[in-house]
Amino acid sequence: MDETETALIQRCQAGEKEAFAPLVRKYAGRAAGTAAVLLGCPHDAQDASQEAFVRAWRNIRRFQTGRAFYPWYAAILRNICRSRLRRRSRRKTVALADGHASPASDGDPVLLAEQDERRQRVYEALMTLKPAFREILVMKHFNDMAYKEMAAALDIPIGTVMSRLHHARQALRRALEEDGS
Amino acid sequence: MSCDEFNRLASGYVDGELSEAQRLRFEAHLETCDACRRDLAALETLAEDLDMMTFKEPGDEELALYWAGVYNRLERGVGWILFSLGAILTLCYGAFKAIEELVRDPNVSILLKVGVCALIAGLVVLFVSLLRERLVVRKVDRYAKEIDR
Repeated sequence: MDETETALIQRCQAGEKEAFAPLVRKYAGRAAGTAAVLLGCPHDAQDASQEAFVRAWRNIRRFQTGRAFYPWYAAILRNICRSRLRRRSRRKTVALADGHASPASDGDPVLLAEQDERRQRVYEALMTLKPAFREILVMKHFNDMAYKEMAAALDIPIGTVMSRLHHARQALRRALEEDGS
Repeated sequence: MSCDEFNRLASGYVDGELSEAQRLRFEAHLETCDACRRDLAALETLAEDLDMMTFKEPGDEELALYWAGVYNRLERGVGWILFSLGAILTLCYGAFKAIEELVRDPNVSILLKVGVCALIAGLVVLFVSLLRERLVVRKVDRYAKEIDR
């Protein structure tokens, strides 16, 4: 973690709300994008990522300075998204009964930095995968986490990370083939 | 190495997460199996496609709105805490006074007084039990440090 971030977190731990703003601004895009993929639709991604920042603020005194902020925040965000998915599947208001989200093509904004036909297709196929697959693909490819970090975050052995990631990629490949790419 | 084992290790190979011994066995199989070579090529293309994707960075105006949303929730959080605290104190005081009056009123039957006291005692026991359970769960919950449930 860089020195500026450590200093900002120390100021946050002293109760200075203004010091939290640069952290929120730095990670807002990544947080909203991650939430969009985890939730399977970008509609309440912003709300979920903001809620995660609020919880991070409330628990900032427990944060060990010297550690990186984003992985800690990402764990909070993942838990919020998981509980929202659980609530959604209980209500059965979206097509998540079998663990699949609706594709992102129904007028949803695609939260990618660059867009072309190929990326758009991959993104849409990604959104049709079950939540556990979306989660591990986001961790690997969007958050650039190593297997060891993913294993610690998900509380599973490294071998399970490798096989889950492989199954997720195979599922994505099948979704892309079905889509005709 | 069988094709099944190759398949299990393929993602680890693409991500550079195999041990040296696994990598050598994997590459030896790759030399001899056309189907696995094709599968690996497809997997590498997919991983490259995924690696190319990064999330959009919001503009200054969007960031300002985003931060305002977070800040408002932080402010509101304090408001809700004060409101809840005030509501709990007020309700407790009201309930205490109502029970006190009920117990002292000679016109109220003993049965009702006993019933109300049992009701209150039951609620207190349930609350303490729930509180204790939450505290125990919190101690063993690995996410307790990260999430305020």
